[in-house]
Amino acid sequence: MIKEREFLERARVDRATLEVWIEEEWLIPGRSADERSFTDMDLARVGLIRDLKDKMGVNDEGLGVILHLIDQMHALRRALSAALESAHERRPSSGV
Amino acid sequence: MRDPYETLGVAKTASADEIRKAYRKLAKKLHPDLNPGDKQAEERFKEVAAANDLLSDPEKRRRYDAGEIDASGAEKAPPNARYYRDYAQEGGHPYEGQGAYGDFAQGDDLFAELLRRSAEQARRRPGADLHYELPIDFLDAVNGASKTITLPQGGTLNVTIPAGVEDGQTLRLRGKGAPSPGEGPPGDALVQIVVRPHRYFTREGDDIILDLPISVKEAALGAEVRTPTTTGSVMLKIPKRSSTGDVLRLRGKGVKTRARTGDELVKLRVAMPKEAEPALETFLADWTPSASYDPRKEM
Repeated sequence: MIKEREFLERARVDRATLEVWIEEEWLIPGRSADERSFTDMDLARVGLIRDLKDKMGVNDEGLGVILHLIDQMHALRRALSAALESAHERRPSSGV
Repeated sequence: MRDPYETLGVAKTASADEIRKAYRKLAKKLHPDLNPGDKQAEERFKEVAAANDLLSDPEKRRRYDAGEIDASGAEKAPPNARYYRDYAQEGGHPYEGQGAYGDFAQGDDLFAELLRRSAEQARRRPGADLHYELPIDFLDAVNGASKTITLPQGGTLNVTIPAGVEDGQTLRLRGKGAPSPGEGPPGDALVQIVVRPHRYFTREGDDIILDLPISVKEAALGAEVRTPTTTGSVMLKIPKRSSTGDVLRLRGKGVKTRARTGDELVKLRVAMPKEAEPALETFLADWTPSASYDPRKEM
């Protein structure tokens, strides 16, 4: 768990930007005690947000859409891999 | 590394704007988070990023063109940089969305059951193990100790070091790792021990080795000398006529673990006086050793 102050420093974002990103649900911090807390995954997500904005010139409107689609793509990939795994388990062993 | 112009697919004469456009185009195509199933995307993306890093900085580009730096003169990403996809491919995090398959998961058929089970598994997944390194003093490794690590992410971790721990050994602290992203148990903390060398003790397995300098007189006549052990000093009896290389064994003064107890092996080393000792020299000059005293008779 990363505390908010450390997160701002490691992610190199200022507090106002962070508030907007949380408001937009680009970031969803956890809660421990009374404080917001972050994870390494949140740091990686900031890296992605940065890449999309700075390296690819995606604007703020598009960014939320892209994040949402990427998350759905991961959920689908997991669902697909679970389905494949189960299909392997159920396949009768051949030749015996 | 390849020619950065070639990597970005631009001419040597390309303008800054052309380079920026070429880079953006490739970044959109190759970014690992937009290609979660492509294992090579990361390498290609890094290459493109490095090429852009070099060519988008006029000073670096000038020096590259002049042959002053080679293509790998660009900054490297930290080796453990992880992309979002590396986290997102596991379930049980707040960004998980069911929008893309929720309709499939609702029925009571096989696939729906499967999706529910996989979501449940993701929720119960334990947290990651966290790795730490703890340097400790030689004597703490031999005798055991209790240490507190201050964690980079804040907070502390108490580590009980068992007596006899070895350099490079890893201690596992159950449940002290990262919390589960869902509702599973936390991971473990893995603490690797690094033992700092001691000024005069070394260790071979469970035995402690000590080089003990003794005087000519102590070597010739025998003596009792104060000898350090890892648990304090003891008096050690040096037999008459001891030589450099003789090893005396202090039983039970080695490393004590619950299973075994080692010894301390004291290697004697006769130390000649550093300053002139006229009386000793006069005596030795006048001394005729007996015929049997030939230290090299076996050579």
